[in-house]
Amino acid sequence: MSTLPAAGPQANNAVPKRRRSADPVGIVSFIALVVTTFLMLLPLFFMVSTSLKSKKEMLKFPPTFLPESWQWSNYKEIFETLSFGTMYMNSLIIGILTVVGTLLSSALAAYGFARYRGKGSSTWFLLMLSTMMLPYPAIMIPQFILFSKLNWIDTFLPLIVPAFFGSAYNIFLLRQFFSTLPDELFDAGRIDGCSEFRMWRQIALPLSGPALATVAIFAFIYSWNDLLTPVLYLSSTEKLTLPVGMASLTSSRFRIPPWHLLMVASVLAMLPIVTLFAVAQKRFVEGIVLTGIK
Amino acid sequence: MYLFISPWLIGFLVFALYPLLSSLYYSFTDYDIIHPPQFIGLANYAEMFGNDLFWKSVTVTLRYTLISVPIQLLLALGFALLLNQRIPLRGFFRTAMYFPSMVSGVAMSLLWYWIFNPQIGLFNYMLSWFGIRGPAWLMNPDTALYALMIMSFWTAGSGMILFLAGLQGVPASLVEAAKLDGAGRFKIFLHVTLPMISPVLLFQLIMGMIDSFQVFTQAFVMTQGGPNYSTWFYVYNLYTSAFKEYRAGYSSALAWVLLVVVMLFTALVMKLSNRYVHYEGGKR
Amino acid sequence: MNRNRKRSGFALLLTTLMLVAAALSGCSGGKSAGDVTSGGDSSGGGDKGGTVTITHYTIDSEDRTFVEKLIPDFEAKHPNIKVKVEKAPYEQFDSKLQTLIAGGKSPDVTSHYGSGGFAEYYNKDMLLDLTDIIQEDGFKAADYGIPDNLMNIYKVKERTYGIPVNMYVTLMLYNKDMFDAAKVPYPPSDYEDKSWTFDNMVEDAKKLTVISDDIAKTQYGVDFTWAERDNRPLYFGAEPYSEDTWTNGGVPSATHFDSPEVIAAYNKLFGLIFKEKVSPTTEWSQSVAGQNGDPFVAGKIGMSVSGSWSLAGANDFPFKIGVAAVPWGGNDKVRSTLYVDPLMILKGSKHPKEAFEWIKYLVTADVQEKSIELSGGNPPVNTQAAEAYYKHFEGVDPQDIKNVYEGAVKYGFESYNHLITNYSQINDMFINEMQPIESGHKTVEEVMPTIQKKLQEIIKR
Repeated sequence: MSTLPAAGPQANNAVPKRRRSADPVGIVSFIALVVTTFLMLLPLFFMVSTSLKSKKEMLKFPPTFLPESWQWSNYKEIFETLSFGTMYMNSLIIGILTVVGTLLSSALAAYGFARYRGKGSSTWFLLMLSTMMLPYPAIMIPQFILFSKLNWIDTFLPLIVPAFFGSAYNIFLLRQFFSTLPDELFDAGRIDGCSEFRMWRQIALPLSGPALATVAIFAFIYSWNDLLTPVLYLSSTEKLTLPVGMASLTSSRFRIPPWHLLMVASVLAMLPIVTLFAVAQKRFVEGIVLTGIK
Repeated sequence: MYLFISPWLIGFLVFALYPLLSSLYYSFTDYDIIHPPQFIGLANYAEMFGNDLFWKSVTVTLRYTLISVPIQLLLALGFALLLNQRIPLRGFFRTAMYFPSMVSGVAMSLLWYWIFNPQIGLFNYMLSWFGIRGPAWLMNPDTALYALMIMSFWTAGSGMILFLAGLQGVPASLVEAAKLDGAGRFKIFLHVTLPMISPVLLFQLIMGMIDSFQVFTQAFVMTQGGPNYSTWFYVYNLYTSAFKEYRAGYSSALAWVLLVVVMLFTALVMKLSNRYVHYEGGKR
Repeated sequence: MNRNRKRSGFALLLTTLMLVAAALSGCSGGKSAGDVTSGGDSSGGGDKGGTVTITHYTIDSEDRTFVEKLIPDFEAKHPNIKVKVEKAPYEQFDSKLQTLIAGGKSPDVTSHYGSGGFAEYYNKDMLLDLTDIIQEDGFKAADYGIPDNLMNIYKVKERTYGIPVNMYVTLMLYNKDMFDAAKVPYPPSDYEDKSWTFDNMVEDAKKLTVISDDIAKTQYGVDFTWAERDNRPLYFGAEPYSEDTWTNGGVPSATHFDSPEVIAAYNKLFGLIFKEKVSPTTEWSQSVAGQNGDPFVAGKIGMSVSGSWSLAGANDFPFKIGVAAVPWGGNDKVRSTLYVDPLMILKGSKHPKEAFEWIKYLVTADVQEKSIELSGGNPPVNTQAAEAYYKHFEGVDPQDIKNVYEGAVKYGFESYNHLITNYSQINDMFINEMQPIESGHKTVEEVMPTIQKKLQEIIKR
């Protein structure tokens, strides 16, 4: 790799435009996509349709594909059953702060790991990976003791603060992306007298749009769907998060769970992620925008 | 370098090192959570190797990992390649493929429980279109593990977006150059695309392994390790020892054995991969 | 250049450490000024003006968290006590409880709502001996309408460790629509009706059973889910655990799961599925009703023997139901398993006396009566509140529920899952080892010796 890649907005297209219509591979791919997408979406269709069924219809056997009578009121009922609005807000706050923290700290650390592969660095790197290899049930108790000593119980802090110190998964992920960046870019930067920090900000980050978007989505989804940590650390009703509320719908050993409400909650819970993905997905299409480097 | 990794390093020292070391200490003790731990040396480790359920959980987990991780990777890469072409409705397809990965854990296990229902579930219903009478899936010891694997494929979309992000970084100039040299589609993939995304591939392979060694939620929520122990995963076993049997010491020992094994696996994969993984800034 | 970086690295590390530390303290101060105080007074058990805070730990579901609605009234009556409710979904109940205890934040009051029962908590030495508190307080079970035999369930070696609060029994629900369609007379609710036997139940069930290739038409006469699997031989009069289990805190000195009586009992039970073909297989039940679901609810079962909690959803069932006695199956003393949930004080409690006040409050007659409504039908242990419970379910004759409850108490035995140590492991083992019998791959005779052997290992732990 001695040439500088002439990356541009068109860089992401392996198949050029002009061949699109007559391309047999394209047609086969299209059919394959239609089939798999259909399979992927079918369960989700059922989820949505269930969310519009009545409680009595849920007990029907065999189950119906489409609701017999469309119960839009289910979407009102969820707000009466759970303090859904509060939970939604709590989850949003935690999710957004987690994303901010993760992006900042993980991108920094990943740059450090990607650019310098000295002797010490691989030790630290393995150490970092090891934090992912110990299953959560094994460190739950010591971690709880730690956070309770900090007096963080029943606050959002145990859910947010660790993100500001980087998560191993995302560091590793970004490190892999940064590793693919050509050294020449950084050599050029150095000649221009850029500090490492400026190279991180002005070379590495702008080139890693898709990767950063991916990390943001992953971090958000992880925080948004996390059940165990909020269950352990939060107790006041007004601080609970969405997954905790959803779990409470099914957690009675003695009752028939209100499936319809659970599906309503699941549908509503997906909205922020879908929005986020729709936004980030645009980033993918745009591809890498190299500004001022050429 | 230390400046850059310092946020992580501090976080590591504060939030991770203490739990890591305490669990290492607990692994040498008899600790029931209520009473103070008592040092018993290597007894926990010794017990483990003579325990039937331990070996059962190792087999189940290995089988799951060896089958599901490669297939998941292939699916994710396949989807990504399909969607990296100029194709009508590309945005829609990307979102649709990724949609399943957005469903929350609770809802997902409920949905799939229904899908695998032997009598009225979607899965066997669709098999019946082809004249196949599907098995009882989650309720049959021979098929339960496979059912969980199939379910894991549903979320291949999250691997797909990683590959997509990687494919964005493949310079068009390289592809064009290869094309001018007369290389076919497959050759371009093998010699240009694949090397360029190999760091992402390596990442997904390692993460896929770490994740599947730690499969827990599905076993916990959907099958409770059954039927007849067929989904008794390693971490499920670890969880039961800790919180159902009140043996935090023994389960910490299980955790450390897992840690060491996964570390060795990872180190091995990284070592082997050095030869194949292509780092642009390769200063090794 | 690498070396260069390392030299300055350490200084940089120190600087950032301090910077981040500053940022961190600023962050925790700002974001959670309100949060920290509320977390603080529960853990410190603060003594501001003589008020103490006690924690009630329970399952995060409507039928348990309703106690939150009782707190204002209690606090008005006891201005020096504040009650906080700590909760977790069923699946996380055990892990959160143990984490709280290990972290020095033990709740004060709880019950065995997780996978382990009373004996588990007792043998792990988690429970406070209430005998002295009871004596000092002058608490008399009779004043709270709690029968002595129920109080005795949670006594070990004459010491009391729990105060009963709810009592579920085993009963039979039947689908009236299905009985009407098959022109079969309804089963009786009277436990003294001698004609109501297991064999007669099987006869009725045969008339109700329809087996068809069309799953929508298939229905079964009876689903006999009497208690947990290891408990079922008791129904036929076989006792798989030695007598001392019930008095020594749940550690059996001997078990007899490979004895001919126990094997015969299981054969009779599985005979419902494989010989008489009047009961569904587990696989069928789960297909029809979903995970942990009850096929009776789907209207596919004529008679269902199960815990009285199934009554709670009765108002939503798409068919009419009735309540009947559990038939006589060969055991003159026991026909019903009882599920009496006790309130217990954990050893880690810093305010056991105040916690006991809260427990007493929860078992008083009017609170128990209020709780029926608030919880959506939890059965009270206080007999003075019982009448209100019998009347709670629309479409079911209160007299039938009363008969069934009184009969169940008379012929009742507390469910094994509350009384035997290491029970969650025992139960896991039974579910997994018996699966091949339930699917018809192995016989009872083949499996029971393995179960007996594994059970011994679990108990010896």
